[in-house]
This record gives sequence, structure tokens and C-alpha cells, in this order.
Amino acid sequence: MPASTDTPALDLRGIVRTYGPVRALDHAALSVRRGEVHGLIGQNGAGKSTLMKILAGIEQADQGEILLDGQPIRAESPAAMIQRGLGVIFQDRMLVGNFTVEEALFYATPAIRRHGPLLRRAKLRQEAERVIRRYFDTSLPPKALIRDLSTAEQQIVHITRTLLTGPSVIVLDEPTVALASREVENLFRAIREMRADGITVVYISHYLREITEICDRVTVLRNGRHVATVQADQTTTTRLTSLMTGAEIGSLFPPHNSADTLSGDRPIRFAAQGLGHRAAFADVSFDLREGEILGVTGLIGSGFKELARVIFGLDRATSGTMALAGRGYSPRSPREALAARVALVPEDRRSAGVGLALSLRENVTLASLRRFSPRGLMRRGAERQSARAFIERLAIKAPHEEIHVSGLSGGNQQKVAIAKWLCRGAGLYLLDEPSIGIDVAGKAEIYRLLRSLAAEGNAVIVFSSDLDEIQGLADRVLVFHRGRIALDASTADTSSGQLLAAAIAGSPHQAPDKGQSERQAANG
Amino acid sequence: MTDISFARPPRQSRIPLTRAALPLAVALAFAFFAVFADGFAQWNNLRALLVNNFALLAIVALAMTLAVHSGGIDLSVATAIDLASLAFVAALAAGYGVAPAIIAGLAAAGAAGIVNAFLIAVLGITPFLATLGTLFIGHSVQQLTTGGGNPLFVPFQQVPPALPFLARGDLLGLPVPVLAVLVLAALIAVLLSKSRFGRQSLTLGLQPLLALYSGIATGRVLALVYILVALIAGITGIFLSANVSAYMPFSGNVFLMNAIGATFIGTTMSASRAPNVTGTLVGVLFLAIISNGLLLIGWDFYWQKLGAGIAIILCLLISSGKARHPQ
Repeated sequence: MPASTDTPALDLRGIVRTYGPVRALDHAALSVRRGEVHGLIGQNGAGKSTLMKILAGIEQADQGEILLDGQPIRAESPAAMIQRGLGVIFQDRMLVGNFTVEEALFYATPAIRRHGPLLRRAKLRQEAERVIRRYFDTSLPPKALIRDLSTAEQQIVHITRTLLTGPSVIVLDEPTVALASREVENLFRAIREMRADGITVVYISHYLREITEICDRVTVLRNGRHVATVQADQTTTTRLTSLMTGAEIGSLFPPHNSADTLSGDRPIRFAAQGLGHRAAFADVSFDLREGEILGVTGLIGSGFKELARVIFGLDRATSGTMALAGRGYSPRSPREALAARVALVPEDRRSAGVGLALSLRENVTLASLRRFSPRGLMRRGAERQSARAFIERLAIKAPHEEIHVSGLSGGNQQKVAIAKWLCRGAGLYLLDEPSIGIDVAGKAEIYRLLRSLAAEGNAVIVFSSDLDEIQGLADRVLVFHRGRIALDASTADTSSGQLLAAAIAGSPHQAPDKGQSERQAANG
Repeated sequence: MTDISFARPPRQSRIPLTRAALPLAVALAFAFFAVFADGFAQWNNLRALLVNNFALLAIVALAMTLAVHSGGIDLSVATAIDLASLAFVAALAAGYGVAPAIIAGLAAAGAAGIVNAFLIAVLGITPFLATLGTLFIGHSVQQLTTGGGNPLFVPFQQVPPALPFLARGDLLGLPVPVLAVLVLAALIAVLLSKSRFGRQSLTLGLQPLLALYSGIATGRVLALVYILVALIAGITGIFLSANVSAYMPFSGNVFLMNAIGATFIGTTMSASRAPNVTGTLVGVLFLAIISNGLLLIGWDFYWQKLGAGIAIILCLLISSGKARHPQ
């Protein structure tokens, strides 16, 4: 039915969704014009994910209306929403690794139904090829296994799957989290092509620069409510940040340590000498002093992530040595690493960092169980006291210490993951992508926390792909390039551009050639 | 820290229908048979129900609860039961007293547990496959030691008076097996919900990676779980033999599926769907009432499993409300 051109393609009104005592969405609204790219931003806990789930038909709103092309609809199931032309692409809903590209594209996709009960492979293959060519200007081998594809290629499969259903509205959730900058460009090109084809795109991201670059308009959510919808070309990231937080926030990064803490007087807490692990990295040598934050970065596949695994005892070094406070250190398990007071806050927060179905109290004491159970039985009173102390000290936003951690926002979950180690006490803290999926205000808090950890005389290593984060937070940086240290410098002497150059080309002085070398390094 | 006040954690004041489904099913089944099955509600029958249908299965199901709580399963409880029974009877037949025979029985069950612990904790085989292997091996061990699976009897004149007492006697006003269930249940409840070991097992069951990254000695916890499971299941083997003064080969098998069933329907009583002692006991009670009641009504023995199956599915259907998790 012909709707007038100014009827929004997608219109959400007064959406309310509560989880027990928590009101995730409180009369939220979102109005998206036909054929625009519409940004949706907000801090973690602002209600973006809940809104997405409602749009995807995974969850139902308690109150409110959803209008597609002016027609009120009921979002009763994911299948129904896809049939209505609304495709939601979740960042963390991964494809099955053992499927081939073809299987991933055609199975469990309603596109199948449009051709009757049996799969018409040839026709589907043709169609998929056309879509991938049209939007991504590439092609994927139909028989390749999903797990053998790069992250970017997997994402292409993911998006193509949805495009094959012929959607009028596509929702993208944090699509660039795992992408290198060139891949981001490719994605943006695809999004512009979609817009040119009249597909409406809702784009959710924490990266405000991306939002202002790709979006036509931006809606800001805060505490489950609609705060503002602005023209992307008439706003700034600073303005958006203040809309998200409801206040002007100061500098994202805390001031670095004063120069004397970085001088040679501070004792060395951790040292690596000629460290290597299989093909991942080799010849890695560095010292880390007390009170220092070391940033370690590189492209995906450059080996810097594997270094974290070796230091935490998840993998064993195949060459070289490590020393903690001057004593030899070669952990065979995280348990041994912890016994030597080395703690890791993992990137995969939801499976390895916090216990989602455990209470905040149980999470905080999880690594110090023995202390809270001198005779084998847990002392709940002492646990509670400790948990409350950390809620206060780290300003964790939680109504009480018995809440399940699944009910907290990403930033607060991360604080709980850190509180677990503070409760146990460590001397060397490793953090793998500490701010991934965390909003701006949450990031600033995590950074301040890490800085105060260092100021207390601990040593901190931050492993991160976010170069601004490394440059802003760390005192010193190691940039990995193809398994070797390409740059070891004080961040006072570097810029994030130089870090990027070193990561891509292996030298800070070479201009980053964003083509070939990056691609090769990412695959190497 | 005096000026901060925390909201009180909400007590579970309202019990949602999903968690009440199983107790309701028990009440309904009880009421149904009390009306339609002659003699069901009489004390003699209820006592028989508790001793014959409830107690022995409950012990195995409590053991299974430990395994499922840690994120695994133990298919070899049947082996532990049979080996305990075999060693117990063999010791009695050889003229040993009841106490040494019990120790022999538990040791034999424990051996199955140690095999499991080795396969799972040391070799890293998944519990399902490891215990399936032990189950098969246990089957062969019984055949090899009993000439292809012959029963072994305690000679009539050698049956010590303690045997019928163990199986049917009263202590503190309760049948001994029922008392054993209560004591075990209390111990396991404390172990799971109050002890350090329980917290470690829970973490392992929910998120094995988190347990590893948090420095929990996962191998040690798993080894302890599977040895405990076998020892507890072995107790059922001893009661079983005490009742008939004999070892009947492969009699542990009947408990396996029921114990798994009771444990999983018991999880419906927990808000987080975790295996728990109360749920398991109520689940066992449910199965016990069904099998006892259907027998009294005069349903053909062959129909009993059908009745139990339908009842389990109905109960799970009622309780399968979507768990709500934000994010």
C-alpha cells in the first residue's frame, strides 16, 4: 500500500520494557525516515540492545507501538519480523563455524521459502553472488568454511544473509568492532549502496566518528528514553557525548604518571627476554616497572594477543624467558599465574570475565574463595561486606550485591571483572581490550581505575586494538608487526598515527599504506 | 562505611508458576491417586512408596545432581551401584561382617569414580563419553566376574540380622533408607549451596572458561565430583543388596534414566534453572508417586513409563516459561 513519502519507514513510540525492577526502556522512541542511515547511540544500559531485541522479535515490549511504513505491527517472533522486511544483524550472533558459506547463507534463512519447499541451489547461489558483488564488490568461495574466513568476510556473509531476505529496513549492531580501518571503509561503501537502493539502515555504534561519518541523522538514548534526534552533519562527537552522558565529560584519559615514576629508579616488576610462542610471535623483550602502564597493540593476527595468553599461563612460551620481580616465571596455567599474582581481565567478558548467572557478590569473591571459606564453608557475611565495599569503591551501578551480573551494563560488568582481581590482589594486571563494548563514560572510569592501580605501585599491561586508547592511556607502548616488536617507545614521543603506521608497515616513519600491507599483516 | 545504605536484596517473595509447576504436579498426582487408587493414601502404602519407590532412586538422583551441577553428567552411576552391590555381597558371602562389607562395597563404587575422575579430570574427556565408557566397562566387569551375569547370594544361614534392618528397619521413627536420604540430602545441600566446593562446581557448570580464568583448580573439582557421585550411588547398591541378600547383575541400570529425569525436572524449581537438592527430591517423589499409583490403579506394568513420560513432559511444558535476561 502506498504510504506518503514522509511516513517514517520505522517508527517506535512509547516503548516500555522492564526486567524485574529494572526499566530498560522507559517510553523510548525512534523515528527513521525511509532511505536514510540513522545512527542510534547511547551509553551501555541506555536501552539500545533491548530496543534491538524488540525490533528483532526476540523480546516483546510491555507497552508501546511499532509502525512499519505507518502500519502498526506486532513484533511477535524473529521469523515474523524478517517476513515484514526488518532485518536485525547482531554483532555477537556468530555464524556456525562448520558451515560452508553457502550453507550459512541459505539455511535458516527465510529466503528459502520464497522458492518453495526445496532449495533451488543454483538460483540461490546466483542471487547471493549478485548481492555480494553489488554491495561488497567481492566474491566469496561458496564451499569455504565460515571459520576459515576473516572476520570481515564473515560479516559479509552475515549481512548478505539478511539482504537475501529482501529487507526494507536493516539494523546493524556495532558492525565495526572487529574490523580494520580499510574493512570499515568497505562496510561504509556497502551501507551507502544499500541507501542508494532505498534500504533504510539503522546503525548502532559506540564509535561516534563513524556515526557522524556514515549517518544522516542520529538518535540518542539515555536511561531508556529518547533524548534527541539530530542531523549528523550539524553535530560534533563532543556534542553527542554530552547528549549521551547528560553532562559534559572531561578528558577521557586520566593524566599520565609524573616523569619520576617512569625513571629507571622504580623496580622492574616484569621482564620478558627473547620471548616467543610458536608462529605467533618471537624475540619479544621488554621490562615493565612498577607504577607503569604498558600498552601493547598491533593488527589482528600480529601476535600481540598471544603475548597476553603466554603471560597468563594459557599458552606456554616456546622460547625465551619471563621474570617477575627478578625471579623466573613460567606459568603452566592461569592458576599458577595467579599464584604469582598475575591477573588477566579477558576480552571475552561474558564467558571468561564475569559469571553472568552469578551474583555480583559471587563474582567479586570468585578468585579469593579460600579467603572467604577458611573451614570450607563460604562466609556469606564477609563476602557481602567485600562486595559492598567494591560497589562503593569502583562506583558500580547496581541496586544491591545479590543482583545477577547479566543485569548490569557492559561497563559495570567490566568493573566487576576488575573487582574480582582487586579482591584477590595482584601485582601485575593484564587487560585484554578493557573497554570493548563500553560507552564513553564507562571507558573514562575504567581508565581512571587502571591509572590508580598503577599509581598504587602495580604494573599494568593493556592489550588493545584501539590505538587512541593505547596512546591516551599507556605510558609506554609496544607495537607488534607480524609477530615482532616494531616499535617500543614512550607514548610521550608517539601519536596514534605513528602507532598505526608501525602496526601496518612495521615502522612509525613510513606513511601508512592502507592497502596491501594491512591486508597481509591481518592475515599473517 | 556507615553512611552508605544499600537496597535490600529482594527476597523471592513471589514464586512464579514455572517454579511451582513441579510441586503442584506432585500434589495433583498425590490427590489423583488418593481418590482413584484404593489404598494409595494408607500409611502402609505410603511407607512402601517411600522405601521401595523413593529412597533408593533418591540417593542415585542426589549423586546425579552433583554431576549435573558441575556441568556434566554421570551415566556410570549404574556401574557404581552394581559394583558396590557385588563387592558387598561377595564380602558377606566370604564371611566378613556387615561393616567391612559396606566398606568393600563403597570401595568398589569408588573405583568406578576414580576411573571417571581420571578420564575427565586428567585426560579431559567429556563427562558424557567418559562415563558412558565406564558404564560399558562396568558391564563387562560384572559379566567376567559372575560367569556371564549370574546372581550372587549370601547363603541363607549367613545373612546377618543387620541386613533386613538396613533395608527395612526403623531408626528414629523412620525407615533406614529414608533416613539415609535425609542425611545425604542435608549434606549435599550444604555442600552445593554453602561450601567453597559448591561455588567452584557451580562456576564450572555455568561457565567453564570463567572457572579456568579465575584460578579454580578445575581438574581437582571435577575429580572430587565424580568420585563423590560414585560413592553416593554405591550406597544405593548396598541398600539394594541388603534388601534381597543378593547381588543381581545389572540392576543399577533401572536407576540411571530415572535419576537423570528427576535431576532435570528438579531444575525447574530453581530460579536460575540450576540443579538443586530440593528439586531433585521432589522430582524423585513425583516419579515414585506415579509408578506406585499406576501400579495400584492396576495399569499394566508396560504402561507405567508412558504415564511417567507424559507427566514429565507436561511438567516441563508448564515450567518452560522464558527465562528473562536483560541484554
